[in-house]
Amino acid sequence: MHTQRGLWLFLVPSGLVLTLVLLYPLGYAIYLSFFNYYLGAGERTFVGLGNYAALLTDERFWSSLGKTFLIVGSAVSLEFVLGLAVAFGLYKLTFGVRTLNLLLFLPHIITPVVAALFLRWVFMGRWGLIDGILISFNIFPPDWLGSPGWARMTAVLADAWQFTPFMILVLYAGLNTVDHSQIESAQMDGAGNWTILTRIMLPALRPLIVFVLAIRTMDAFRFFDSIYVLTAGGPGTATETITLYTYALAFRLLEVGKGSALGVLTLLIVAALVALLILVIYRRERGAF
Amino acid sequence: MLPHLACLLIDRRRATALLAGVAGWLSLPSGAFAADAVQMISHRYPALEFYAERMREALPDVEVNTQLMPHDKAMELANIAMSSKADTVDIVYLNDSTFLSFAKNGWLRPLDDLFEKYKEEFGLDDFTESALDTFRYDGHLYVIPHTINTQLFFYRKDLLDEAGKSPPTNFEEYKALAAEMNSPLRAGTISCLKPVDAGLNEMHWYINGLGGAWFDDDMKPVFNNEAGVNAITMLGEITANAQRGFTSAANDECTIALQQDVAVMGMQWASRAAAMDDPEKSNVVGKIDWVAPPDGHQRVAADGYALSAFSKQDPETLFKIIATSSNEANMREAASMILPPRRSVLNDPELQAANRHYPASLASLEIGQAFPRLPEFYEVGEFITRRVLQAITGEMEVKAALDAAAAETEELLKSRGYYQ
Repeated sequence: MHTQRGLWLFLVPSGLVLTLVLLYPLGYAIYLSFFNYYLGAGERTFVGLGNYAALLTDERFWSSLGKTFLIVGSAVSLEFVLGLAVAFGLYKLTFGVRTLNLLLFLPHIITPVVAALFLRWVFMGRWGLIDGILISFNIFPPDWLGSPGWARMTAVLADAWQFTPFMILVLYAGLNTVDHSQIESAQMDGAGNWTILTRIMLPALRPLIVFVLAIRTMDAFRFFDSIYVLTAGGPGTATETITLYTYALAFRLLEVGKGSALGVLTLLIVAALVALLILVIYRRERGAF
Repeated sequence: MLPHLACLLIDRRRATALLAGVAGWLSLPSGAFAADAVQMISHRYPALEFYAERMREALPDVEVNTQLMPHDKAMELANIAMSSKADTVDIVYLNDSTFLSFAKNGWLRPLDDLFEKYKEEFGLDDFTESALDTFRYDGHLYVIPHTINTQLFFYRKDLLDEAGKSPPTNFEEYKALAAEMNSPLRAGTISCLKPVDAGLNEMHWYINGLGGAWFDDDMKPVFNNEAGVNAITMLGEITANAQRGFTSAANDECTIALQQDVAVMGMQWASRAAAMDDPEKSNVVGKIDWVAPPDGHQRVAADGYALSAFSKQDPETLFKIIATSSNEANMREAASMILPPRRSVLNDPELQAANRHYPASLASLEIGQAFPRLPEFYEVGEFITRRVLQAITGEMEVKAALDAAAAETEELLKSRGYYQ
C-alpha cells in the first residue's frame, strides 16, 4: 500500500508540466472570455457571458462553424476511406510493404506550413504545377484557390494529402492484430476480401477506428496552418474555419476577450463531437471503450 | 488550439519576442549577432527594400536588423508586438492609414522634438507640408515620410495600339476594353482583391470613382447605398475578365501578372511602375505605359517609418537611422522607384524627364483620394473585403454583402466609442 502511494510521486513532474502549459493557459483563456478586452485600448471590462452571447448570435461564427464541419468531415472521411483502402492493400501485399509504408508516410513528416507552401505552388493559378501542366495542353482548369467551391475542395485535399499516411499507419498496424484463425475460418467458408474486411476486420478494429477518428477530428478542428497559407480563409469567407475566425478576432481585430470565448466554444464543440462519435459507434456496446 | 492561443495571450511579450527573435535570427547575415541590434519591421516593395538597405548602412556603429514582408504580415507582426508593449520592434513601417490606429493606441513615440532638433542636419523642412500633415495625429508628428504613392492605370501600349484602342477614361470603357482584350492566355485586366490591404485599395477606387463614399460625416457607413452597390456590381463585371487567382492576389501577384505578359491592363501602384522595365524581372520591357486611372478617386498614400513607444533603444539613434535613410541623396536614388516626398527631388525636372511614369504619376496625384482618416479603417476593412469577395464570388448578393459589412462596421465602431 505504501509503495502504491509512493508511485503517485512519479506523476508530479508531468502534472506540473501539464498544469503549466495546458491547464493554466486554459484557465486564463476562460477568465479572459468573460471580459470585453480590446488590446488596442488595453482596458478590460467584465461582461460575464456577453462574449458568448455575442458569438452565438454572430452569423460569421455559425458560418465558420458550418465550414469547419464541412471541411473537417470531408477531410477525415476521405482520409479514413483512403487510409483503410491502402492499409488493406498493404496488408494483402506480400512484398515491398516496408518500403511502400515508408514512402507513403513521407507527406506526414513534413511540417504543415512547409507542406501548405508546397501545395500552394501546386494549386496556384497560372504559375502552379497543375495549371502549368494543363495550360501547356491548352486545358484551362478551374481556379483552385480562387473560387469558393474549389478552394474548399483544395483545403480538403491538402489535409488528406498530409494526414492519410497517419490513417494508413494506424489502420495497417491494427489490421495486423486481427486474429488470423477467424480470417482463415471465414476463408474456408468461402468469404471474399470484402466480407472479411467488413465482417471480421472492421468490427475487430472498432476501438482503433474510434481512436483514429477521434484523434483526427480533434486535430482537424485545429486546422489552421494549411488553410492560412493556402487561402487565408478566402475567397471571402469560403474556407474560413473556426480557428481562422478565432485568429482574426484575436490577432487582427485584437478582440482578445471574444477570441478567447470562441476558443472555449471550440473546445466544448470538439469535446461534444468526440463524445458523440464514441456514443454512435458504441451505441450497442456501452462501456466497451 | 485553445491552450495555444491562451499561451500567447498570457505572455504575449515573450511570445512576440520569441517570434521576432526567430524571424530576426533567420534574416540575420552570418556573424551579425549583436545584443543591441535595432529591429525594424516593414512592408516590402522595391523602394522600401532600398530604404531598408540604407537603414542598415545609416550609422556605422549601429546594426539594424530589417525584416521585410508583405503588408498584411508586417501589420500583423507589428500589431502583435505593439499591443503587447514588446520592446522587440524599434522602427516600424506604417502608411497614412495604418499609422492612425498605432498613434491612437499610444504605441508610437511622437517625433516633434526630434524633428525640430535635427531639422537642419537632415534638411527636414524639405519635406512637403502635405506629406508631413498626412502623418500627424492629434497635432503630433509620428512618421517620417519616405514615399508618396498613388495608383496608376497600367496598360499594354503595344497591344492597345495594335487593336486601335486608347486607354479607358471611365469605368464603362474599362469594362468594355477588358472584355474585348481578354483571351485564355492573357487576361483582359488584373485585379488584386486579397484582403485586407490590396482588396481595400481596389474597392476604394470603385466606390469613390463611381460616386459612392465609405462614410458620412458622422462616420456612419454609407458604402452600401445605391452608388456603392453599383460600384461593387461593376467590380464583379470587370473581374469576369481578370487574371486567374485574382481573389487571392495582392500587389506582388498583380505586378508579376503584368510583367509576365498574362494580363493587358489594370490598376497598380506607381511604386511598381519601374519594375515593368526591369529586364531581369519583366518580359514586357518598354511595352507598358501609364495613365491616370479612369474616373480618378484611386488611392493616394504615403509610407514612412515611426518609432515604437516601447523601444529600449536610444530614440535619437533610431531617429537618425530613419532620417538618414530618407535624406535627399537617398531619395534622389530612389526616385525611379517611387515619388519622393521631398520638394527638391519631387520637383526636379531632370528626374521627371528621366522616369517614364512620372507624368502619369503626377497627374494621378491630382485626382486621387486618400483612405478615410479613421484609425479603425483596416479593422473594418477586414469585414468589408471579405463581404465584397463573397459578393464577387457569387456567395452573396451585392446588396446583402454590403449591408452585412456596413452592419459589422457600425458595430465595431460603436464598440470603439463612436456614435455616442
